[in-house]
Amino acid sequence: MTARRRSRWRRWLAGYAFVAPAVALFLLMGLYTIGYGISLSFAKWNGFTPSWDWVGLRNYLDLLYQDPTLAPDLHRAALNTLVVMIAVPVGTVAVALPLAVLLNSVRRLRGLLRSVFFLPYVTSGIAVYYAWRYLLEPDGPMNFLLRSLGLGSLSRPQGFLADPSTALPTLIVIMIWGSVPVAMLLYLAGLQSINPNVLEAAQIDGAGSVRTVRHIVWPLLRPITTAILLLGLRDSMQGFQIFLVMTDGGPAGHTDVVGLQAYHLAFFKGLSPTLGLASALGWMIFIAALLLTVANGRMLRSNR
Amino acid sequence: MTAPAASRRPGGVKVVAYLALVLYAAVSLYPFLWMASGAFKDRIEILAGGHLIPARPTWDTLLQTWSRLHFLDYFLNSIKVTGLTVLGVLAIYSLASYAFAVLDFPGRRFLFWFFVALLFVPGITVLLPVVILEDKLGILGTHLGLVLPFVNGMAPLTVLMLTNAFRSVPGELRDAARVDGAGEARIFWRVYLPLSRPTLITVGVLTAVPTWNEYVLTRVSLNDDARYTLPLALENLASGNVPEYNEIMAGSLIIVVPVILLFLALQRYFVAGLAGAVKD
Repeated sequence: MTARRRSRWRRWLAGYAFVAPAVALFLLMGLYTIGYGISLSFAKWNGFTPSWDWVGLRNYLDLLYQDPTLAPDLHRAALNTLVVMIAVPVGTVAVALPLAVLLNSVRRLRGLLRSVFFLPYVTSGIAVYYAWRYLLEPDGPMNFLLRSLGLGSLSRPQGFLADPSTALPTLIVIMIWGSVPVAMLLYLAGLQSINPNVLEAAQIDGAGSVRTVRHIVWPLLRPITTAILLLGLRDSMQGFQIFLVMTDGGPAGHTDVVGLQAYHLAFFKGLSPTLGLASALGWMIFIAALLLTVANGRMLRSNR
Repeated sequence: MTAPAASRRPGGVKVVAYLALVLYAAVSLYPFLWMASGAFKDRIEILAGGHLIPARPTWDTLLQTWSRLHFLDYFLNSIKVTGLTVLGVLAIYSLASYAFAVLDFPGRRFLFWFFVALLFVPGITVLLPVVILEDKLGILGTHLGLVLPFVNGMAPLTVLMLTNAFRSVPGELRDAARVDGAGEARIFWRVYLPLSRPTLITVGVLTAVPTWNEYVLTRVSLNDDARYTLPLALENLASGNVPEYNEIMAGSLIIVVPVILLFLALQRYFVAGLAGAVKD
């Protein structure tokens, strides 16, 4: 073996040594679970019997339209998920961008305000969901606030989460509240990287703040907007922790989403053989996420 | 003269800007204020509701939640799970990202894109197989059984961010270190890690926050309440017939305060790290 070939081998070996732990963990936690999940989606199993009943594509078809006890619920959950997937990313951009522009325009208290605006992200999770639940109770502070402001007609005597007409919108508002901080921070970083001369020139030309934002800032920040929308789509499609903690799909399925359905099918059906269904639903969510990503990628490329 | 008008207008705009900003600050703080207020109320006052400032503030609720309800134990469990997950993520994926960013070996591009593509596998899709696998391995319900999938789940985002950060380190530094006789391990440890500190800290925070709050896998895998983490303890507290909101708010406060302190301590790096992620 020549010295050069040996040194090349050593270089390769160093590379493999550096990636080895990550690959090993993936082989343990990732590869098996993905393979197992795919095969389980073609079977019926309750988690306890020694063998699976192979049913081919039936789990998928049952979920999509064949089984009258499953399909309608799933359709409703899919519709709710779709609403969330549109409302949350759009709402996040609509709040975060003006907020970042305002924050960027002031000097005093900027650091303090930024920290305060960031709190909802840092603490997002079960603790804050319980705080919101308390706020939204029938006798909770939110109803009290509305009544004392003379807006009693907006209050919800059943509580905001138990009222079918307000449950989903309320959760959407809380999800937007939780995702504004990161979006605001990304916009703020983007704004600070815009050459100030460009903005000054616009002001000298007599463009007002709104026009500057619309014609100069918005186009320059488009990559950030895209990133925020993509992250938001992904989170609102896959995330269901807030639904699990705050409503568990209620009242009467008004806040059911597909992730939550899969969770229920996988872990809360006792001895019924629903594990294959849960797997199939998980993979349908995956396929939807994949299609969405490909479509987004196309759109991004054609935008350039 | 238009000068006075011109100077008054920006002033007026500024007042409106501050008003809007302060209003949103109030919206951001709203649940926390009530959380803190509830934690300092006693059982009777919390039912009266309505007022934010407790009329008879008391430490008893917090102390009671902390000691009698064993929140200290749950707190330590949470620290353990979150700490091990952050350490695991930083150790494993900084090594891998170094290889993806600067080393040269067959299959490098494929492996990199493979790890990034995992971003699109939803957690719910692999949740059930993970539970079944861990049951077979005998680690279901242990803290290790939480840490391993949490670390694995952070792979895509972490590899993406750290590989970008390592790529932006000037190649001359690496060449100079090699001339001085440093091997890959030394260059990685002495040059690349210190120069990427904001990104490492950002990755740490982005891992720590969701892990600290994780509730979905935790809920279906932990049975033994001596191993509960804070989110499960809180759920346990809230699942009684009549929710005692003052205790629930105290438990929530115990979960939230450490994360706020962590963020305040690290926010300088965190903001720089996130801003760096945008520029790439």
